Amino acid sequence: MKVLIIEDEKTLAYEIEFFLKKAFFLSDLAHSFSDGLEKIKLNKYDYILIDLGLPDGDGLTLLEKAKKYNPDAAYIILTARGKLEDRVNGLDLGADDYLAKPFFLPELQSRMQAIARRKFNVNEELLLLGNFRIELQKRFIFFGEQLIELSRKEFDLLSYLLLHKNRVLTRIQLSEHIWGTFADDDYDSNYIDAHIKNIRKKLNVYEPTDWLETVRGVGYRIKK
Amino acid sequence: MAIVGLFILLLPFLVRQIASDYTNFSLQNQKKKVLQNIKKNGLDYYFQGDDNYGSYTMLKEEYISLETTTSNLRIDTIKTTQRIVEQDTLTYRVLSFTFKTGNKNYLLEIGKTTASINLYNDSLQRFALYVLVILIALSIIIDLIFTRQLIRPLSHIIKLRLSSTKFPFKKNQTRIKTSTTDFRYLDDSLISLMNQINEAFDKEREFTANASHEFMTPISILQNKMENLLSEESTTESDQRHIVDMMRTLERLKKISRSLLLISRIENEQFIKQETVEPSKLFAEIQEEIEHRLEEKNIKININLQKNHLLQQVNYDLLFQLFYNLVNNAIKFNSKNGNIVISDDIKNNKYIIQVEDNGIGIAEHQLPFIFDRFKKFESTQTSGHGLGLAIVKSIIIYLNLEIEVKSKPGTGTKFEIIFKL
Repeated sequence: MKVLIIEDEKTLAYEIEFFLKKAFFLSDLAHSFSDGLEKIKLNKYDYILIDLGLPDGDGLTLLEKAKKYNPDAAYIILTARGKLEDRVNGLDLGADDYLAKPFFLPELQSRMQAIARRKFNVNEELLLLGNFRIELQKRFIFFGEQLIELSRKEFDLLSYLLLHKNRVLTRIQLSEHIWGTFADDDYDSNYIDAHIKNIRKKLNVYEPTDWLETVRGVGYRIKK
Repeated sequence: MAIVGLFILLLPFLVRQIASDYTNFSLQNQKKKVLQNIKKNGLDYYFQGDDNYGSYTMLKEEYISLETTTSNLRIDTIKTTQRIVEQDTLTYRVLSFTFKTGNKNYLLEIGKTTASINLYNDSLQRFALYVLVILIALSIIIDLIFTRQLIRPLSHIIKLRLSSTKFPFKKNQTRIKTSTTDFRYLDDSLISLMNQINEAFDKEREFTANASHEFMTPISILQNKMENLLSEESTTESDQRHIVDMMRTLERLKKISRSLLLISRIENEQFIKQETVEPSKLFAEIQEEIEHRLEEKNIKININLQKNHLLQQVNYDLLFQLFYNLVNNAIKFNSKNGNIVISDDIKNNKYIIQVEDNGIGIAEHQLPFIFDRFKKFESTQTSGHGLGLAIVKSIIIYLNLEIEVKSKPGTGTKFEIIFKL
C-alpha cells in the first residue's frame, strides 16, 4: 500500500511516516501544495493524506485537483482548523474521511483500514483469537458455533486492539477511539478497565483469554 | 425644597408683618373716615356739645377718642402702647393724630387691641399654610408629569441599552428617537461604548480561537512522537510508563485547548441550528454514553420525560454536549449510590428540562461563578479542567435558552434548562 503524506509540519509528517512504515505502508512525503500536486501527477497512491493548512495553497483545492490524477485513491483530510464547514466541504469534495489534529496514530490506521473495507472491498482473512472467530464487518464473535454477545463498545475495543495486535495501546488512545473527542473533562479515565474486565468475563466462560494482556501502568495489548 | 423650607420658617414673621401692615392701613382708613365726617358734619357730630368724645366696642377691642389738646402738640404716629379703658389696662395698636380746626388743636386716637390683631394673624397664617401646601402638592404633581414626559427618552435609553441587554450586544443598534441633544449625545455615546465592548469581545474570541488552534499542531507533534516512542522495541517498560505519564499530561492540555476551541466555535456561531431533537432519544443516547460512569459510582438515573416536547431549530451535537456535561457533573459531584432525576414540564409557554442530583451541592456564594471559565472550588477536588459549565453556558446563549440553578450544600443541585415555545 502506498501513501502520500502532504503535511507542511515536517516533524509531524515524519512521525506519521514512521508509524505507517511499521504497519507496512510505504510513504512519500510532500511539504507544500506544489510539491504535493507534483507527486500526485507522477505517481499512483492508495492513500493520500492532505493537511488543509498548507503554506502555498488551500488543501481543499489540492483535493479537488488531485482527484483528477488519482481518482481511485482514498483521501483523508488532516486539519488543525477543526471548522465544521471544512469537514462538510471536504467530504463533499470527495474526501473519504476527516481527522482533526491532534489525532492518535492508531486511529489514523484504523480509519485507513475502514476505508479499505468500504472502498477497496478488502475482505479480511477470518480473524482468529485462540478459538474465537471474529467477523469484523458483521461485528460478530463466535466460539465454535456459539455467538457471544458483546456490547457495541466492547466489540469496538476488541477489534481496535486486534487491528493493532502486538502493539500496546494506552487507555487514552483506547478511550478516544471509543468515546470520540468531544469535550469531556475527565482525562484520567479508567473506564477502559471496566470494559476490558467485561470482555474477559464474557470470553473466559469459553476459553482463557491469555492473548489479551495488561501492560502494567501502560495499557493493553493483544498478543498473537 | 430648601426654598420651600425657608419660606415655611419665615411664614410667621411675614404674616405678622402683613397683619401689622393691614392694621396700620385700616387704622389710617378709619382716621380718614373720621376726618371726612368732621369736615362734612363739623366737630359737633362727635362732640354733641361736649369737648371730648370716646367710644369703644363691646369687648374693648377697638376704641376711638377725640379731645382737645395743647395747641403746640403735633403728632401723627402709629405705635403699640397701653391704654386704660374702664379700669382695664390693655395693649393697643394706637394711631395718634393731631389736627387743627378753628383755633383749637384736637387729638384723634384710634386703637385696636393687639390681641384682636393676633387673632386674625393666626387665621391668616393658617390660610397661608394651606395655600402653600396645596401649591407644593400641585407643583410636585406637575413636575412629575412634566419631567416624566421630558425624560422619557432617558428611561427608554436605560431600558434598551443598559438594563435589558444581554451580552454580547447586538450589532448595528438603532438610535433612539429624541430631539433633545443631550439624550442624543448620551445615546450615541452608549452605542459607541457598546460597539467598543463588542470589538474587544470579538478580539478576545478571536484570540482564544487562534491560540487554541496554534496549540493543536505542537500538541499533535508531541503526541505522535510519544506514540512512536512508546512502541519502539528498545523502549523499556519503565520508560513506557514515563511516556504514558507524559501522554496523560499532554492529554490534559489537549482537552483544555479543545474545550476552548469548542467555546469559541460556539461563540462564533459555527453550528447550524436546524435540527429537531426528541429529548427522550437524546437522553437515551447520553445515558448509553455515560453508563460506565454511572456504574462506577453505582448511581441510579431516572429519566422521566412525560412531555417529551420536540425541540426545533436546535443543534443536536450542542444539546448533547450541554446535557452530557450536566449529567456528567451530576455524577461527578454525587456520592456513591446517589440518584439523578431527569424530568420535564411545560409552564407559561415554556418547556423545561430539569437535571437534578442529590450530590454535594454548591455553596450559595459560589453559585454566581460556576459558569466562569477555569473556575474551580476548593470543595471540589475532583478531576476536570473547569470548562464543562462554561461550555454549557455558551451553548445556552447560542441556542437562546435560559438556565437556572438551585442548590443546597449537602442536599443536591438542580439545573433547569428552559426552552421558549
